Amino acid sequence: MRLLLLAIVGFGLMQTSFVIARPVSYPGGWTLMTMNDGDKNSVHVHYSPTAKTSIGYKFEYWPDKELNLHALQINKLLKRWNKTESQANFYIKSGVGVAYSDLGLFDNESGASAFTGIAVDWEDRRRFISYENRFTDIDGIDDFFQQSARVGWAPYQGDYGDLHTWLMLQIEHMPEATDEHTVTPLVRFFKDVHLLEFGVNNHNKVLFNYIFRY
Amino acid sequence: MNKLLSTVAILIALSATAHAAHPGGTIYAGVNGLVCDFCARALEKTFGKEEAVEFINVDLDEKIITIHLNEGQSLDNKTVLQLITDAGYDVRDIRYGE
Repeated sequence: MRLLLLAIVGFGLMQTSFVIARPVSYPGGWTLMTMNDGDKNSVHVHYSPTAKTSIGYKFEYWPDKELNLHALQINKLLKRWNKTESQANFYIKSGVGVAYSDLGLFDNESGASAFTGIAVDWEDRRRFISYENRFTDIDGIDDFFQQSARVGWAPYQGDYGDLHTWLMLQIEHMPEATDEHTVTPLVRFFKDVHLLEFGVNNHNKVLFNYIFRY
Repeated sequence: MNKLLSTVAILIALSATAHAAHPGGTIYAGVNGLVCDFCARALEKTFGKEEAVEFINVDLDEKIITIHLNEGQSLDNKTVLQLITDAGYDVRDIRYGE
């Protein structure tokens, strides 16, 4: 059993994804995220001093680009709309750091990196929709744009503490990628402090995301 | 109009004073934006740091949190409002029980 858990966590740390809700936690809350798909693998650890800001460390590995990125990332909740039956959010997510690549003529070449983008989401207890984008610039190595959207539906409505299940569809667009558009049906399981997502995209690549919030 | 506003303000002030004088009870707060377990946990963690609070219950269906106070402790309207707002949510209403 322990071996299985280690394998799951290890697999999670090896891969990555793009769209995720709630980049800011409650005041004093810590969040660990690993996001994995066919394009990249990432680990993000952040701390939220307030309900409107989180600051943390982000690592990304892009296999096709042979690119490693380390960054200090700040997420800011610019606006939240709290309604009786729903909630909507508007965030800006930015980071600065260093990246290095081994691709082609790059022989472990490194450069300063920066990225920024927006994220918006709306959800009630049965429906979810989100969009986010990001522009990344790595000095002397690469720059690229990516955007992603999601729709989700919960087949049942659980109480606080129950296992919550969501069926989602994620569409990603990365103009410079070989596979410019990616469509990923996925399932999200959410219980207590754990959120797990699993899916397979239209290029037969696996998506695996895990979030632990404490 | 000013007279009406003054009357309302006084009634609210008197009401808050009365609530603070009934320790060890229960407070019910209607919360907007309470749509998922992450929201519920945020409020649980926020109120869990308060010495006056024994525990809270979250009802996602009704969007209400029930704050159970420790014996001899009290929380006034202003504090409840501030804690919920700081956690990132909006207060719809606050009621006090025994």
